[in-house]
Amino acid sequence: MRTLENFNWKKLILRWEMALVLILVLEIVIFGSINPRFLKIPVLLGSINDYISICIIALFGTIVMITGGIDISGGAIVGLTSMVLGLLWQDAGMNIWAAVAICLLTGAICGALNGYLISYIGVQAMVVTLGGMFLYSGLAVVLSTLSVSSAYEGIGGFPQPFLQIAGGRAFGVIPNPFIIFLILVVIAYVLLHKSRYGRYVFLVGVNPNAASFSGINYRFVSMFTYVLSGLSASVAGVVLTSYLGSCRADLGNELTMPIVTAVVLGGTAITGGRGSIIGTGLAAIVIGLLRFGLQMAGVSTQYLDIPVGLLLIVAVAARGASLYMKRPSFAAKKQKAA
Amino acid sequence: MNNLIRKMTQTRELFTVAFMFVLFLGTGIVNPNFLEPGNILLCLNGSVIYILLAIGISFVITTGDIDVSIGATLGLTAAVCATMIRDGSSLLAASVTALMIGAIIGLVNGLGVTKLRIPAIIMTLGVNGVVRGSIYVYTEGKWVENLPAVFKSYGQITLAGFVNFFLLITVLIVIGVYLYIKKANNGKYFAAIGDNMGGATLIGIPVDKARILAFILSGTFAALAGIIFASKIGFVTPTAGSGYEMKAIAACVLGGVSLTGGVGSVVGAMFGAIIMSSISRILVFLQFSSNWDDTITGILLIIIVVSDALIQKHLKEKARRERLAARDLKAQKAFEELGGESR
Repeated sequence: MRTLENFNWKKLILRWEMALVLILVLEIVIFGSINPRFLKIPVLLGSINDYISICIIALFGTIVMITGGIDISGGAIVGLTSMVLGLLWQDAGMNIWAAVAICLLTGAICGALNGYLISYIGVQAMVVTLGGMFLYSGLAVVLSTLSVSSAYEGIGGFPQPFLQIAGGRAFGVIPNPFIIFLILVVIAYVLLHKSRYGRYVFLVGVNPNAASFSGINYRFVSMFTYVLSGLSASVAGVVLTSYLGSCRADLGNELTMPIVTAVVLGGTAITGGRGSIIGTGLAAIVIGLLRFGLQMAGVSTQYLDIPVGLLLIVAVAARGASLYMKRPSFAAKKQKAA
Repeated sequence: MNNLIRKMTQTRELFTVAFMFVLFLGTGIVNPNFLEPGNILLCLNGSVIYILLAIGISFVITTGDIDVSIGATLGLTAAVCATMIRDGSSLLAASVTALMIGAIIGLVNGLGVTKLRIPAIIMTLGVNGVVRGSIYVYTEGKWVENLPAVFKSYGQITLAGFVNFFLLITVLIVIGVYLYIKKANNGKYFAAIGDNMGGATLIGIPVDKARILAFILSGTFAALAGIIFASKIGFVTPTAGSGYEMKAIAACVLGGVSLTGGVGSVVGAMFGAIIMSSISRILVFLQFSSNWDDTITGILLIIIVVSDALIQKHLKEKARRERLAARDLKAQKAFEELGGESR
């Protein structure tokens, strides 16, 4: 009986991911027929530069949301990382790779602060990360005033190897950000779906009390998800800085909503306990390609929020309806068993 | 238990008010100019928009939901109101249209959350995108400028020489909403639903209707804030109000409104909004750069919620100990009454 239930559940998730793949194919076909240039492989792959940070942060935001929390400070950490990187490199004269390492550490520390307050002090995740959002983006603004270059210009002129992080192409075709994204998908997938830690994450999301009674250090498990999320935000910050070639404090200001959208569209339950990395990865690309394709079809950038918002509502409503329809069949099965 | 909760909610508001006084007095000690009546009034005037947004969203938050579409609603209603007035409509017609738009957006949010069972943050996030995009469609990405001087002058109308017109309206609204929540029959539905939705359903509260009403109120208040925004600022950009939803939520949290629902009041939300919007002014009087604005907001927010969480944890633990001790005592008494020897 139990295996049967598990099987159904898994099937449901698979179906959702198939739906995402279907949307993706539809997007490519439709936009390809509107503008044939869209179908060129370099263009299609290169488009990831526009939404790489959403993809990266959403992957690890999924893990946070599976524990029942939420992290809306990711965008702010992107800006903070970018400013730290610029200041360390230009004003402190540090080696660029050492600066990158410190940046990643900064992101992890920001995440650890969020996580500590949420899981050890017991404040709601939304509130802490809201405070964190203000704090980190505020710090980024403060740091930008410390720099010798003016805030509007931003810090630029990075060495070529650093710019290659986002600008380079592996094997001459595939843009580096795409490779980075794939590597992170594999890491997140193994961490969440194949490791013991991942199972603990799901357990904490389903029932934290049960997790603590079974001897799992559930506070640390949920805190560490925020560390991962902060770390991923700083990775996104580094990649984005490398792509743009300059540091700006407001780099991630518009990212919060798309990240949450990608996570939720990927099939993660906002109440925790359910979700998948593959789903989120697909959803992030679906959103990114939707925006990119509409832009190529001649729709102005400013209107793009409308289709993305509608897609989110319709997808979640359809998904909720399909889950709702499942219920009677469960009751019928019960009757049959009796 | 009921008594304890009531006491805690009261202390939460008091905590916010006390915090505001400490903040203002502290600034006043460093720079006495801050405490001049004119300056305090400027602080209050500057917080009108945030107060209205915070009141509206506090309905939604007390029912345990959240509404992140109010920033976009503010922007759209401000743009519509300003455009209508620029094209010669009367203030009444423009305001009613704006308020209707706000209410409709709220209704859509509410129906999505209650009937389609979409989690509130997702529904309002999607609506946020749609509404924000609609602003660009409506304004064609241009600024709404050249508003008539009469419309812009409402912000300068004062009563008895010092009380600003908008501030007066806002304070009256806060008092009205407070009385509605405390005295009206259905005013306590919101907190009841946020505290225990299942229980609220069982005792016959129309849960879905009340939740939809909360969203409608949230949208309407955002529209009111939008009208005032258009009049105060004098022009409307397509990005008007973006990020305001987060500030309104932060104001509610500063004012002791719990995001899990059931706890908090509009008065708390109002004081939270005043603190929130006064920070940049306080920084200037303390000779800081106003670049520190967001940083200080974030730190305050975190300090307040962390101390609140610690206090509540302590209270809960204390209540549990007392309960256990009382039970032990009772058991001991019963044991003695049965003729057992006391240990």
